Amino acid sequence: MNITNIFKAGSIVLLAFLSFTFNANAQRGKKKADKETVAWRYELEAVATGVSGTYQVKVWSYSRNVETAMEQAKKNAVHGIIFKGFPDKGDVKGQKPIATNPNIDEQNKDFFEEFFKTGGGDYMKFVTLANNGQIAPQDRIKISKKEYKIGIVVSVNKSELRKYLEKAGIVRGLSDGF
Amino acid sequence: MKKNIFLVLGFLVFSLVAFSQAKKPTIMVVPSDNWCNQNGFMMEFDNQGTKMKIPNYKQAFQENADLKLVITTIGNMMAERGFPLKLMEQAIKTLESNSAEDAMMSSKDSGMGASESPIDKLKAVAKADIIIGMSWTVNQNGPEKSVTFILEGIDAYTDKQIAGATGTGPSSFSATLAVLLEEAVLAHIDNFNALLMTHFEDLFANGREVIVRIKKWDDWYEDLETEYGDDEEELGVLIEDWMADNTVQGRFNTTDATENMMLFEQVRIPLYYERNGKQRAMDTRRFAKNLSKYLKDEFEIISKVTTKGLGRATIYLGGK
Repeated sequence: MNITNIFKAGSIVLLAFLSFTFNANAQRGKKKADKETVAWRYELEAVATGVSGTYQVKVWSYSRNVETAMEQAKKNAVHGIIFKGFPDKGDVKGQKPIATNPNIDEQNKDFFEEFFKTGGGDYMKFVTLANNGQIAPQDRIKISKKEYKIGIVVSVNKSELRKYLEKAGIVRGLSDGF
Repeated sequence: MKKNIFLVLGFLVFSLVAFSQAKKPTIMVVPSDNWCNQNGFMMEFDNQGTKMKIPNYKQAFQENADLKLVITTIGNMMAERGFPLKLMEQAIKTLESNSAEDAMMSSKDSGMGASESPIDKLKAVAKADIIIGMSWTVNQNGPEKSVTFILEGIDAYTDKQIAGATGTGPSSFSATLAVLLEEAVLAHIDNFNALLMTHFEDLFANGREVIVRIKKWDDWYEDLETEYGDDEEELGVLIEDWMADNTVQGRFNTTDATENMMLFEQVRIPLYYERNGKQRAMDTRRFAKNLSKYLKDEFEIISKVTTKGLGRATIYLGGK
């Protein structure tokens, strides 16, 4: 085996190792971000009221990198609309959460695990990134050596989301029981 | 045979679902008195020397296009939530046409008209179980315009506010009033419905809140202090005992009681009752009829029951 071959083989191994490390890091980042969503570590801010039942909100997520933050922003926005609501901001009216019972996440753990599944959960149907996901410079704040607080504007179709949850029997419809 | 079993099972399931529905309250959007006054939709009349002003809803609906837009937008959002609105404009038209029809109607045999007492006439107004009172004001700041919007949900029979949403929308140089109003409705209706939902959840958990009044006819020689039964208990106390036994968790409040009248508020009646082995929706009329029946069966007191919508009943003691 000459030096060129050894060098080639070494490069392949190094590449494979680097790609594995990168993937593993990305996965770890997503898992960490998922944990933070469940632990309510994000903030929602009212941006605008859109057409019937759609709201634009700025989601402040905490992450090591921007890509994870962008994905997580969608999940956090949907999570927030269901469980947290968001307050008024200037002239823009805040909204109450869809869930009136704060324990529905515990009572429907399996449903929400599937609903918020990374890469394919149904939450994706109700949220889109606004401005092609562009982040304003002032919305990218470094809060520690490894972590950023990133603000991303997303649009959530609250009306359709509520209908979906009503149909799944997770929340009660306004006319249920009558 | 199997098919028959399935049919019977299907019918049983349907019956259970169909008969265990509580009575659905009707909702109507009504422009507030304040809005009608500000926009000049009032009429004045002389009430025995005192000048009274009341809203002229018919004129408001005929002349203000923004009102129609706001009500239609609210109606769309409510229909989406399974609560189509009762339209006040249509209710007024229906009342007018019913009145005209009744005036023309006569019996084929005797030629007599349909009977109508003064109380029937008084009751012939547009009504709903939940009134959404709505008003807005336009704020002008130079060329900038914004809209302050108020929605308040009132339980028409307990007169309690059960939901509300208020706020001033974003200012705009160019948007028309119609656009600003539409934005205001979209921004407020979800929060309003969230509060309405809380009210309905309370209703399902603790029963429907109603008002029951007891009165006596002038010519009845007994009164609510007359003693009845083996224990010689006053009638008023016996009625209170019945209320305690028949309300959800014994919840009611005796607001007023004299020898001639009793007023029970915050009376929590169950949503269902059983009749012929089936669950049926309970309303105030049925609840008051049960009390009337108890008075007749136990003490031979004849009474008349009148109701106002789903939530208010009056029992007149001493005759029909």
